[in-house]
Amino acid sequence: MKPRSYREYIQGTITFGVAYGVVSLLARWVTGNTILSSPETLVKYGLLGGIGYAMMGAIALFLFGWITPYIRERFPNSTTLGDVLKERLRGRSYWFVMWVLLLTSLDSLLIQALGAGVLFHFLLKTPIYVGLLVFFLYCFLLSIGGMKQIHRFEGIHISFIFAAIILIPVYFFIQKGIFPVYDGLLLYHPYLLFLKHNEITLFILTALLIGFGQVLIDRASWQRIYIIEKSKVRTSFMMAGIIWATIPLAFTAIVLIAVYGQGFENIYSILSQLVEKIDSLFLLLLFIGCCFSAIASTVGAELHATSIMVIRNMLNHKYDWSEDQQLKKTYLVSVLLSLSLFLISSILSPNLMELIFFFAQVYAAIIPTMLVVIFYKRMIPMLVPYCSLIGLGTGLLSLLSYNSIQSTWISFFVSSGLVVILLVVNEIRIYSK
Amino acid sequence: MITQESFSFYIMLSVLAPIIGAFSLLFLFLFEKRLDQLEKEKNELLLEQELQEAKYNQLNQQIQPHFFFNTLNVILSLARLNRKEELISAIEVLSKYFKFKYKQTDPLITMEEEIQYTRYYLDIQRLRFRDRLDVVWSVEESCKSSLVPPYLLQTVVENAFKHGLEKNPGQGKLIIILNEQRNKVYLEVWNSSSTALEALDVQKEDRGIGLHNIQKRLQMLFPKEEILIQLNEEAKGTSVQIFWPHMTKEDTIT
Repeated sequence: MKPRSYREYIQGTITFGVAYGVVSLLARWVTGNTILSSPETLVKYGLLGGIGYAMMGAIALFLFGWITPYIRERFPNSTTLGDVLKERLRGRSYWFVMWVLLLTSLDSLLIQALGAGVLFHFLLKTPIYVGLLVFFLYCFLLSIGGMKQIHRFEGIHISFIFAAIILIPVYFFIQKGIFPVYDGLLLYHPYLLFLKHNEITLFILTALLIGFGQVLIDRASWQRIYIIEKSKVRTSFMMAGIIWATIPLAFTAIVLIAVYGQGFENIYSILSQLVEKIDSLFLLLLFIGCCFSAIASTVGAELHATSIMVIRNMLNHKYDWSEDQQLKKTYLVSVLLSLSLFLISSILSPNLMELIFFFAQVYAAIIPTMLVVIFYKRMIPMLVPYCSLIGLGTGLLSLLSYNSIQSTWISFFVSSGLVVILLVVNEIRIYSK
Repeated sequence: MITQESFSFYIMLSVLAPIIGAFSLLFLFLFEKRLDQLEKEKNELLLEQELQEAKYNQLNQQIQPHFFFNTLNVILSLARLNRKEELISAIEVLSKYFKFKYKQTDPLITMEEEIQYTRYYLDIQRLRFRDRLDVVWSVEESCKSSLVPPYLLQTVVENAFKHGLEKNPGQGKLIIILNEQRNKVYLEVWNSSSTALEALDVQKEDRGIGLHNIQKRLQMLFPKEEILIQLNEEAKGTSVQIFWPHMTKEDTIT
């Protein structure tokens, strides 16, 4: 059903309590990355890496949840992240941050689209474009129905995800037992059982930094701050963090089932190995439903939030459209985004991890600017967002001689340092006046 | 290297964690509304309590100006009659009364304190009535520790003067009885003033306000108990009887 107003399209018709709030946040944050990064983390950092990855997601949502009541209190009239930025930033600095948001939105959507391509290819053995066409059509229909439509399907998506991650490990470990899996890992993948403490600590901290940066500029999460009841917004985010952590943890168990009796070509082939291992049709359908739900709910929410951002917080400042026109243009942006994502993900197949790590520096560098937007009491100096740009540039340059984890920290420290200096100078200037 | 036991624990954690997550979510769906309802009821109860407290304090406040202006009128009369010595002791008594009262801010006081208040009031009235007034106290020791809302006894005594003794010239007698009966405190204030039948209804209504005030305050204190207040008009005199549960400071602590 078509939303009656643009506000209804953005926020839906009901205010969420903790339960619906958690489901909505889980639908946004259980993504293709969650499914694909779990095997990656497991292979690179062993079993402790799996726990670390789950922890960092939970802590990132926890930290953001902690500040959400403050955001709601300070910016009561906003409905999106763009509204808050418009209130706090002026002129070019606003546009700069909006462009960064657009870039990260497109990156996030592209990663999901590529993830969907990989998953459909390995799971269904169909040509990539067939699966992707169905997938993007579904996501587009999800997105144009507005928040009400997205919310209607979130429950089904989350049920699929939980059903799969509970039933598959239980089925396999009851059938095979734990010790044969341990012996198999000892034989084929003994490196998974080694504890690499030094690397893990840095990896977890970096993942936490990136995760926090991601949540901090996530359009869909900001929308949900204003949809969940004010008194329940912090609890919802925190509960979502805790419950989210259980999902990557369960995926690591699923990955162990796939690899314990054989070697593997690459990370993605683990998925096809898993499909071969799942001999029950019901469980197989459940797993496909789980992967589809995880990615579709994220893409639906992102498509919705990004198209709103493009129209409401970017183009509408120039053209000043009526509400009805804004709604129509938002649909148009949704169509264009879905179509371009479908084409890109069908044609290109860039390395997924490279894309994620390229944007890690962006997420780390934007954190200080976002914290200033949220917490700084005075008018924000125009140059603050550019500190993040310098931080990002320095981080990317440092890639020549450092690895991506180190360069992520360089981005963060440079932009934070510059922002702190700028604010101190600003304070001195105000006091001297 | 992870041992077999640690690995088993890891798998157990990975298998159990999503089950716990799903159950938490299910719990939220099933009980969130009920928890909200409980929270709402708790808030309503607190609000109701605050309202009762505010009403209670308001009722207490209503009595103060009533008594204060009556006493001022007594003092004014003494000044007009040029009874200087009595005027000085009246002001002294009033000063003692207020000093005692403003030190005391509790919503409940012991009967002993209430008796002390009433004595100050009677001292002032005695200045007016001189030898015409005869006051008899019959107070059971166990009742002195009983907790009551302030001005309970004083209001009844004041009513006895306002509607009885002050209207009847000649000798006046006031009997105050306080005793404990089956874990309840019984208070009777009798005054020797008979009321003409035609004036009875008007007086009853007027007295009713003060007594109604007492009943409301006692009912707030003991919402589940029965509070009995009775006004008896007889040819020889008028009495007010009140029954309320016996409660001491120790009871409120436990």
